[in-house]
Amino acid sequence: MPKRGCLGCSFPVLIGIFVVFLVLMVISLLSGALGSSLFGDLGLPSWLTVPKPHLQLPAEVVFHLFGFPITNTILATWLSIIVLVGIAYAVTHRIRLIPSRLQSLLEFAIEWMLNLCKDVAGEKNGRRFFPIVTTIFLFVLMNAWLSLLPGFGSILITGAEGEPVYLLRGANTDINMPLALALISFVVVEYFGLRSRGFRYLGKFINVGQFFRSLGQLFRGKLKAGLSGLFTGAIDIFVGMLEALSEFVRIISFTFRLFGNMTGGEILILMMLFLAPWVLAIPFYGLELLIGFVQALIFGGLTLVFATIAVTPHEGETA
Amino acid sequence: MDVETMKVLAAGLCMGLGAIGPGIGIGILGMGAMQALGRNPEARGPIMTNMILAIAFAEAVAIYALVVAVVLIFVA
Repeated sequence: MPKRGCLGCSFPVLIGIFVVFLVLMVISLLSGALGSSLFGDLGLPSWLTVPKPHLQLPAEVVFHLFGFPITNTILATWLSIIVLVGIAYAVTHRIRLIPSRLQSLLEFAIEWMLNLCKDVAGEKNGRRFFPIVTTIFLFVLMNAWLSLLPGFGSILITGAEGEPVYLLRGANTDINMPLALALISFVVVEYFGLRSRGFRYLGKFINVGQFFRSLGQLFRGKLKAGLSGLFTGAIDIFVGMLEALSEFVRIISFTFRLFGNMTGGEILILMMLFLAPWVLAIPFYGLELLIGFVQALIFGGLTLVFATIAVTPHEGETA
Repeated sequence: MDVETMKVLAAGLCMGLGAIGPGIGIGILGMGAMQALGRNPEARGPIMTNMILAIAFAEAVAIYALVVAVVLIFVA
């Protein structure tokens, strides 16, 4: 058949694809919840009806290992670790000067992240922050994208309490994983700040220099300068405490941003699958791909930005 | 009005009202980015990067509202 027309397919193939898609749309409309509310009970076979999704926020325990409960989200993180390490090993154990295709794909990703780190943090600091930022980015990305593979959330086994649970569940939907990553990010940012600037880094939060200096001025008799300095000093102390508070609020913000986006996406896709099984979830799958990538980039990128802020000396100070 | 009705109503109101602010905020960010891009198309890289970063911050507030709504329906 001559190859012309749309997408390289000839015209009859295109008509065939279109008809198949139309049939899928009709079946999904009839067998989902939309169909049963529009047309009433049609008596479809049980493998064609979709049960109401049972949403559960805490992750379900699959088995116990040395007394430690292993949930299905932990299994999903193990899977993404295996996938990431497997890809890295496959590329680097026979690394070549003229790269193979997988190697050039990985090189593109690594170089893109390195350029991002260098753009935000400068040359030297960019290389210092690159490992942790890229690890966070790749881990969150792999967790988010693996949970979109067909068959990922479909394997049912009996869990620890005896009721059927899914074997795997997207790891970012368990609130412990974003919390752990947020704590790691917090510790890493503080570590880089302390390491680069010593204990003067804590001077950003405990900003009492101006206050005590103006007290000294008062005792030495310079009343007007002393009083105005006292006022500025009090504001400085307050601003320092606010900065310290915002460092801690950052943990909560990171956690809930990632958790909320991922759980919202999972609930959205479950609901769309419940409404009209095959067809309605397609645009939301695309949305979930984009959101997974953007959230991974945001997590890594914000860690990078806060580390850069922590390392940069104040104006008026020498580095 | 019993507690169950109130919970569902509260969840709906929470998400709905909580999405107004971030929606307007993201629109303002987009307007700023478009204007900057129009003035200086060569600076596309930094403009887009910073716009995405700022949009994620604004969106996080809407996500907090979503989390509260979800907690109201499923946990409370």
